Amino acid sequence: MVLFEQVRKVYEDGTVAVDNLDLEIAKGEIAVLIGPSGCGKTTSLKMVNRLEALTSGTITVDGRNINDVDPVKLRRNIGYVVQEVALMPHMSVAENIGTVPRLLGWDHKRISKRVDELLALAKLEPGKYRYRFPEQLSGGQKQRIGVLRALAVDPELILMDEPFGALDPISRENLQNELLDLQKVVKKTIIFVTHDMDEALRMADKVVIMRQGRIEQMGSPDEIQENPKNDFIRGFIGEDRLAQISPDSPVEPLIQEPLLRVKPSVSAAEVLDLMEDEGCETAQVIDSDDRWKGMAMLGLLKRAARKGGAVTNGVRVDRKLFSEDATIRDAAEMLSDQDIPIPVVDEHGSFIGVVSSAGMAKLTISRLTRKGKGGKA
Amino acid sequence: MLVQKPFFELFFSYVMRYWPRILNLTWQHITISSIALAITLAVCIPLGIYLTKNEKLAPYVIGAANVFQTIPSLALLGFLILIFGIGNDNAICALFLYAMLPVLQNTYAGIKSVPQHLVQAARGMGMTEYQILLKVQLPIARPILIAGIRVATVWIIGTATLASAIGGGGLGRLIFSGLASIRNEVVLAGAIPATILALTADQGLKWLQEFYSPKARALRHARKTRSYDQQM
Repeated sequence: MVLFEQVRKVYEDGTVAVDNLDLEIAKGEIAVLIGPSGCGKTTSLKMVNRLEALTSGTITVDGRNINDVDPVKLRRNIGYVVQEVALMPHMSVAENIGTVPRLLGWDHKRISKRVDELLALAKLEPGKYRYRFPEQLSGGQKQRIGVLRALAVDPELILMDEPFGALDPISRENLQNELLDLQKVVKKTIIFVTHDMDEALRMADKVVIMRQGRIEQMGSPDEIQENPKNDFIRGFIGEDRLAQISPDSPVEPLIQEPLLRVKPSVSAAEVLDLMEDEGCETAQVIDSDDRWKGMAMLGLLKRAARKGGAVTNGVRVDRKLFSEDATIRDAAEMLSDQDIPIPVVDEHGSFIGVVSSAGMAKLTISRLTRKGKGGKA
Repeated sequence: MLVQKPFFELFFSYVMRYWPRILNLTWQHITISSIALAITLAVCIPLGIYLTKNEKLAPYVIGAANVFQTIPSLALLGFLILIFGIGNDNAICALFLYAMLPVLQNTYAGIKSVPQHLVQAARGMGMTEYQILLKVQLPIARPILIAGIRVATVWIIGTATLASAIGGGGLGRLIFSGLASIRNEVVLAGAIPATILALTADQGLKWLQEFYSPKARALRHARKTRSYDQQM
């Protein structure tokens, strides 16, 4: 659908914004361009609808070299969503959505029918929102209208330049989900620019990580996460993912090695000694197949030791988290209930690690310092 | 023998007797002002728009308009006698030079005040430069633009009274001849219509501005469609 070939952009002052970019984006795909500021992601996007001119190379959209198409015609057939939303303040919601249809000379009835159709698609009641003005909408609603405006003439290709960047985290997540739902229906080719790795991994079919005008790595979100090519990518994924952690994120980043691992065959008295040496009050009982057999706890263990039994007589098996669906919130609630490490297991019962209040505190500190430095969210 | 009649009696009897002349002069006044205003708008709005595209020129052109505005209006009329001689042409030209600044400056500032991201978005959606001007920049700049036009209009109507000082027409005739013959009722017969003209024009433009405000327009639109929906 969109093909970049040896695309180069050099600004008048000599800065190379995009350096020999080769990129193919398939029909119906969401390609997310991501990278630090100044990496050329927005410039690459704006070259597609010719808001920025190419210095050399070619971009083809749907098999046609964009330089052979009149820029005005080209832009009318490509949806465009920007970060600032940029709804026209002097136009109602209906007029804003109908901008491009009006440019294309649709008649009145067709435009208002299309507007109502689109509002309904975004679950905004047409009768209520048609005549509202941008200033009467919330940030999230504005950007919904911004997206609808880009969809108005049903273009095959949509460019989105950090569309949810200015929203609070909750609206951002809602809009991301809505866009994904919408995409299932409309199946557009979308080029999406962001600096938020979490957003990229969530939205993308293809993630394109850029640095200094070049593609650093490209692939599906899973590929990128599993095989980061170098330290830059690793840093970029890790750092950003940590920054984006919310109470509803999975517990994974919190998981640590337990202080004490013991085999089920060991006697309770021996484990008590080990605990005393390590200065801890719990131990994870794990068999040779890495299966979790329970968590030995001081009180239970003492009773088991008096009877002279094995460690498995002094364990608790009901207090645990499953790595697939446990969130940080779950872990925090369990920890505030009882301040001892929580074992995390996978669906097959294999032991993964523990979540402790120390790990939780560390995460909190790292997030607080990040915010304190005024780093980008 | 001459007993001074009460002032208002004098005034009313003058008006009753000469109302066709007052009306005629008012009409002249309106004509001179309208022509001057039309020329001002026709020149300054496009010029202001042009300046937003050629920023380097802006300080010089606006500076020049500022100079004209600073010259005392009567003195400006005097200078222009050298070019236009006496009469209405001279007056209209002087009024135009005099009223340039508010229109020019507000057009320029109004368009500059339109956020750049809106212009970018409009361009990205496929508007031509002309459409961006017409559908985005001018509508958003309109309140500032109309504010400039209101100032210019009031200035023109007020200053047009000086036209008669250099042989032009308008309500200034009554004021100047009243002053020359020390007849206050004649001065007032010119001054009152001139004031009413200025206030009316100002209010009219204010009303126009409110009528075309986005909110008012949306309200009308909603009302119209509501009655339309009810008919269905």
